[in-house]
Amino acid sequence: MNAAQLLNGIALGSLLMVLSSGLAMIYGLRGVTNFAHGALYMSGAYLAYTLSDRLSFWAALVLVPVILAVIGVVLEMVFFRPLQHRSHIELGLITFGLALIAERLVVLIWGEKTLSVDPPPGLTGTTSVLGVDYPTYRLGIIVVALALAAILVMWLRYTRTGLYVRAASQDIETAGIMGIDVNRVSLIVVSFGAALAGLAGTLAAPYVSLDPNMGNSFLIIVLIVVVIGGIGSIGGAMVAGMGLGIIQTVSTVWSPSVAVVVPYVALVVVLLWRPQGLAGKRVS
Amino acid sequence: MAVVLVLGTTLAACGSASSNDSGSDGGDDSTIKIALIPPTSGALAQFGTDAVKGWQVAADMVNAKGGIDGHKVELITKGTDADPATTIRVAKEAVTQDGAQFIGAVMTSPEHAALNAQLAGMGALDFNALGKDDALVGEQCSPNAFHIVQTSSMDLNGLASSIDEMPGDKWAIMAVDYATGHSAADKFTEEAEKAGKTIVSTQFAPLNTTDFGSYITKIKDSGADAVFAVEYGADGVAFVKQAEQFNLSSQVKTVLGFNMVSEPLFPTLGDSIVGYYNNVGYDVNADNDLNQEFVDAYTKANGSAPYYVPADNFLAAETLFAGIEKAGSTDPDDVAAALNDLTFDSIDGSVTLRGADHQLLRPSYLGQVEGSGKDLSFKILSSAEASTTTPEPSADCKM
Repeated sequence: MNAAQLLNGIALGSLLMVLSSGLAMIYGLRGVTNFAHGALYMSGAYLAYTLSDRLSFWAALVLVPVILAVIGVVLEMVFFRPLQHRSHIELGLITFGLALIAERLVVLIWGEKTLSVDPPPGLTGTTSVLGVDYPTYRLGIIVVALALAAILVMWLRYTRTGLYVRAASQDIETAGIMGIDVNRVSLIVVSFGAALAGLAGTLAAPYVSLDPNMGNSFLIIVLIVVVIGGIGSIGGAMVAGMGLGIIQTVSTVWSPSVAVVVPYVALVVVLLWRPQGLAGKRVS
Repeated sequence: MAVVLVLGTTLAACGSASSNDSGSDGGDDSTIKIALIPPTSGALAQFGTDAVKGWQVAADMVNAKGGIDGHKVELITKGTDADPATTIRVAKEAVTQDGAQFIGAVMTSPEHAALNAQLAGMGALDFNALGKDDALVGEQCSPNAFHIVQTSSMDLNGLASSIDEMPGDKWAIMAVDYATGHSAADKFTEEAEKAGKTIVSTQFAPLNTTDFGSYITKIKDSGADAVFAVEYGADGVAFVKQAEQFNLSSQVKTVLGFNMVSEPLFPTLGDSIVGYYNNVGYDVNADNDLNQEFVDAYTKANGSAPYYVPADNFLAAETLFAGIEKAGSTDPDDVAAALNDLTFDSIDGSVTLRGADHQLLRPSYLGQVEGSGKDLSFKILSSAEASTTTPEPSADCKM
């Protein structure tokens, strides 16, 4: 495998990393398997399409996560918080329904046509790295994802809010007894998780083509990443996302037909080897 | 026996017939029920929507003129996820519960293959305007299935005469990993090698592939100076845009698409496809009255000119209507018998439904994208008649 293929794996892994960390964050705190996460990612990509067209890609990169964070606030206030004592299956089904609604809304607003977003000026064309000419935009995704991972880890480890998030993710009831305002922490986490989905959608818009089904196809992979990483572990999800991106690309080079089943094989192997996932309950 | 059908004139005459004067012994005497089963989600959803538009314009045109022999046309629009099992279930539901006698707008070759095996049992006829796999008129043929769209072989034979004129000697093949992709790759390899070209790489990507990075890298590493690409819908857009990001054009002199680049995708793909070659199944500028009437009606109804998907589905409707007209009946068995070796005028000129395998004999075109910005269009470079592109009926096809 040459350097370009390795970079392909890292670029795909970077995208999975951003998307799965948001999903893992929400699961860790609320215990909800958010099936709407793929729809949030898709909505982010479509919003990026419109904002890139009207304003600029850079404006979209800032505004889309903000818009999605607001949607995350609505999710928390309207669904997750009032229904926090209901079974996880019920909440999961609600998020599944929300995903279907979001997909239909996207079709109504943007239509069924496949759309695309051009990389911003400055990130078009290729850049020579590791002896190969590689798309500059993909290098940009790698840089953003790695920077985000570093920021997330620092936030979780070295800030008071990060401490609260880790505590609430370990045991939300005990965290509440100890005086942590878990509702406030949850609000932050769900809105931040949704913002990360929006960021992933924006980053993906020039990377893949936009169609209303794009969230579903990625959601399954991202759910697998979260389980492999250790359900609720943000750090584990990031490591698993990067790892799976690289493994899937390597297997695509070798045999595309086999690559399709690689995520599922990886899921089975990891769960047999470490049923708690790579990182277990360790949040960061 | 050949029958020349001038749709507009004939239907105008039919308009005077009583709606009760059906001459039919099948189904509802007053209505021709056609079930449309397009994909409504995923990468093919847009094509499914446009397929329905083609049928809708055809139905509206004949109904406005009183129907066919007094029978009004009713479209029963269903939906599928393009999974053959789903399509079969929906088709059976349409036939048994909704009373549909005819089926259209089914998209992929695997769906048609599965459907062909069930049609006789259902007592319905299917008009395939979209699935191009050669096997559908070979071992998978059915007396109840009519193949309106050109097969992969017909399209590729149409392109074959031009391969040696396209720049590039070392070709890479990038195709979707299902029946049409494989048959197109096999056929192209055969024709390219006949033309003295070398195939340096052949890859198949699963449908709904979002990241073509590793495939494009392999194409670049293969040293190819030309690419033959069979990717559809969202996959095709992803491949083209990512090829641009990888600067593939600095290495390859020719990109020949097979059903990859079409008019609805022009605004999305933009100037990155200028110079791309692609087979063109339908010439929107074809100089005949029926085509002009269709283009005007379609444009008025939908705000844009038709391309191959709605046009081929309209042609499927024309074929069905010609069969009903010839049979003087809406009974599927009578219509099937009437269609055998029927020649009629259509939006694609004079075409013949070959009785031996139910393939519609029609021309194929090679186009190249020209223009820029919002003015991208196909320039038709060559037209190949059916007599030069259509293989002999397969011995595997038993009617």
